[in-house]
Amino acid sequence: MTADKEKRRAISREAARRRRRVESEVFEDLSRLLPLQQSVRDHLDKPSVIRLTLSYIRMHTLLTGKTGTKAEASHKVKCGQVTDGQMVRHEFNGGCGEEEEKEKYDADASEETNMYLRILEGFLMVLSTEGDMIYLSENVSKYMGLTQAELMGHNIFEFSHPCDHEELRNNLRVTAVWSGEKRDFVMRIKSALTHRGRSANLKSATWKVLHCQGRSKVCVAPSSVSCLLLTCQPLPLSHTLLSTQTFTSQHSMDMRFTYCDQRMTLLLGYSTEELLGRSIYDLCHTRDTNCLTKNHFNLCFKSQSVSGRYRMLVRGGGYVWVESHSAVIPNAHSSKSRPGANQPLCILCVTYVLRCVCGLWFKATFTVSTHFIELYLSK
Amino acid sequence: MRPQPPSGTPAPVCGMSAGGCDGAADWPADVSDGSSLPAVELPRKRKGDMEERNSTDCKMEDDLSRSEEEDQQVKIKCFREPHRQIEKRRRDKMNNLIDELSAMIPACQPMVQKPDKLTVLRKAVQHLKALKVGTSSAFADSTNKPSILPQDDFRQLLLRQAADGFMLVVSCDRAKILFISESVSKILNFSLLELTGQSLFDFIHPKDINKVKEQLSSWEYPQEHMIDAATGLQVQTDAPIKPTHLSSGAWRSFFCRMKYSRVAGKQEEKHQLPCTAKKKDTSRYCTLHCTGYMRSCPSSQLDSEGDAETPSLSCLVMLCRPLPHGSPEPPKHINAKPSAFVTRCAIDGKFTFVEQQATTVIGYLPQEVLGTSCYEYFHQDDLQHLAEKHRQVLRSKEKIETQCYKFKTKYGSYVSLQSQWFSFTNPWTKEVEFIVSSNRVMSRGPGHIKDEEAGRLKAMQEEIPIIPSLSNGVGTMIYAGSIGTQIANELIDSYSRVNSSPSSGASSPFGSTNEKCPLVSPPISTSTAAIGASVGCTKVRHSQASSGGGAASSSSQPDSRTAAGASSATADSSGQVSQLDLDGMVVPALSSFSSDEAAMAVIMSLLETEVNVGQPGDYEDLHWPF
Repeated sequence: MTADKEKRRAISREAARRRRRVESEVFEDLSRLLPLQQSVRDHLDKPSVIRLTLSYIRMHTLLTGKTGTKAEASHKVKCGQVTDGQMVRHEFNGGCGEEEEKEKYDADASEETNMYLRILEGFLMVLSTEGDMIYLSENVSKYMGLTQAELMGHNIFEFSHPCDHEELRNNLRVTAVWSGEKRDFVMRIKSALTHRGRSANLKSATWKVLHCQGRSKVCVAPSSVSCLLLTCQPLPLSHTLLSTQTFTSQHSMDMRFTYCDQRMTLLLGYSTEELLGRSIYDLCHTRDTNCLTKNHFNLCFKSQSVSGRYRMLVRGGGYVWVESHSAVIPNAHSSKSRPGANQPLCILCVTYVLRCVCGLWFKATFTVSTHFIELYLSK
Repeated sequence: MRPQPPSGTPAPVCGMSAGGCDGAADWPADVSDGSSLPAVELPRKRKGDMEERNSTDCKMEDDLSRSEEEDQQVKIKCFREPHRQIEKRRRDKMNNLIDELSAMIPACQPMVQKPDKLTVLRKAVQHLKALKVGTSSAFADSTNKPSILPQDDFRQLLLRQAADGFMLVVSCDRAKILFISESVSKILNFSLLELTGQSLFDFIHPKDINKVKEQLSSWEYPQEHMIDAATGLQVQTDAPIKPTHLSSGAWRSFFCRMKYSRVAGKQEEKHQLPCTAKKKDTSRYCTLHCTGYMRSCPSSQLDSEGDAETPSLSCLVMLCRPLPHGSPEPPKHINAKPSAFVTRCAIDGKFTFVEQQATTVIGYLPQEVLGTSCYEYFHQDDLQHLAEKHRQVLRSKEKIETQCYKFKTKYGSYVSLQSQWFSFTNPWTKEVEFIVSSNRVMSRGPGHIKDEEAGRLKAMQEEIPIIPSLSNGVGTMIYAGSIGTQIANELIDSYSRVNSSPSSGASSPFGSTNEKCPLVSPPISTSTAAIGASVGCTKVRHSQASSGGGAASSSSQPDSRTAAGASSATADSSGQVSQLDLDGMVVPALSSFSSDEAAMAVIMSLLETEVNVGQPGDYEDLHWPF
């Protein structure tokens, strides 16, 4: 009896081994078909192979598939379209032989892609409606510390801050009919990068704030794929070049001015003294309250924000359209006796003036309202 | 610099230390399938990159899986879960992936039975092979650096779809457009021919030309124009340049307006160079956000004028993304139709912002109205319901709809309005800062209302001896204005209550949306001045308030309030009195007014009611000076 049992067990074990061998071979075949560098391919485990295969198929569908709306039909997306490429070739190549040209083209195209990524100062992400990261551009490692192969196919919810999940879910909702809806939001994502830019263990990951912009896309055939195409950019304020139409200001966390530079006086007419203690909401057009509130909210909870356009009233009349990029920073002016986590915070805003003064008929109103506001505040 | 999330924020921030927000157990354990081949045969499959970064647990699992086959009895060093469960999760994950894969492969669709793992994998291989046949060979072999997406697709994806922008390369010396990507045609409606080689300034809004010039000119690292995000101040000119600065010094980010053509492909556009002075420039512009880097490009390839001597040309390589055309979408709760206008008031109802188009409706210029209380313009019939709504909006995060009400215009007539009110709460301080009102005209009051109204005012005058000899206008205005102040004071009180965190367990009496205006006369008229008592009553309530804050809604005002003393007789239990009945106001103590000054004194005392609250008994002792 035992011998029989042993024999049966041996047979089944052998069968299992054979099955596994066959399976591994198929996995090998699959991974070879994926457009990856050998070094990357060597390190893939089975689930990663499947994930990357899925990504590849989905992206292919996305780029070649027919979409459901007229708007999309107007610019057909063809796989391998070389219109841009030709332009590049014209500009960058001298005019070589056919094969050389092709190789050079490939090299240039690769360089061009790198350039795009570099000037984008961010990475590209394609998200399915469930939140799977179908595609990530290669430079994602520069921002998240994890490589493209490690991340692609995983779900964004595993990497984003839980408090941002609801907003993310709202943004992922793509209605089947309407394609091309714009998206613009800020989210926090895990980053395995240390301060020095080295990749560390994910367990000691920090949160990185990313500004995500893009649009939705719906493909109807061959298989239905709806997704979000986003560029994800960190928001560095450091060493932003201040041009003549840009000014900085600092605020307490409730958005009252604590400082503004002289450019603001030049552009908007307010002196620093006038503004100290005044809320930014007093200074802006009421119809933009929503925009400012969202900005403030992002700052309080995510520590960075891009405001979108809003109107700032100019002293003496009219208003200007502006956009602010802001971040929460430790208050440098506070006493240094309490370093560390308990340092009081303030908001730093870099505001770009987009257009010249408009609405000059606003003149009388605001001059008067300043007066009244001052009266009111002085009580 | 990467600003860390502020630690003082109210939002729950997950710990980022070793524990992680998710337990390590939740981490996708992308280890090889535990039951696969032992290490000897395919060693390289062992290491998924995820693994190296994952918890030590996964590593443990890996070591174990290598040695064990079906045997569950393995030496376990340290585990958070029994190995069986980890195995199960791994299998489930694999099965899910296989299911997803089969859903994506057309060949797997029509199958009746769910295909097994191997079949799905085999079909996937076939599918990929089929896909590759139809595509460019950009990734067929690995001689070039292959990537998941061929370059062209990537460009498409980035420029047309995600970023919705175009790439622009401009020479720094003459602002010549050296290169522009094809996607520009969708955005600006100009073809590449019309743009390439032209001067950028021909297409930039005249007022932005200086700005763009500035961005193009500074190739050197202009330290004095940089800001240091650590301090928020400008970088000191003598500060040492850190290595990281040099590369970021070449970074540019600015906004500018570029011309766009309304109709695509109009050849005439090409000949209408903006430098040919047209009296009226009817060009349209869209605002672009341009970000990019300075680069030096070998001039021989880029400058067709072929200046071989110049070694290298600096150029700016930018990605230009348009901002949405026109004004941003107005928030849903603000009505942007022309017969509507938006106003903003402080929490006591005093106007702080009035749109210009309001004048066409109310007759007053904005500056005539600013600083005055909205209650001064409300018809007396509407005072009660609007005061109620005022209270509501201060305590609610929702937009509050008023009923139709009459607003007094400059000419004395009334216009019928209906408004949506929305209070703005500072996200940081959580206090209400102002109220935004979106006002819609319902109908224009006919002239005869004036007479009716005059009659009413007279009646009001007679029954409110508080202002016996004051004229219609001023008296009622001041009186009405105090309503707003009252309501605001309640709110401010609630904040100070919250801050001082008293101990009382009684529910917040003024959080109730059922609560009526305190200036409501009680059915029982007593000898105490109704208004004064109401004021006292309000204060009494404050003094017994708990730290419930403004949002609490309680409809039952418990006995603790009524125990306040004599003033409690006038304490308004919710639901008792339903309307602000000015006619019913009994102010016997004030009926002996004879002078304006005395009247004013009373009014002023109402307006200047102090927020600090005393003991419940205080107001009993209040001696009215008449």
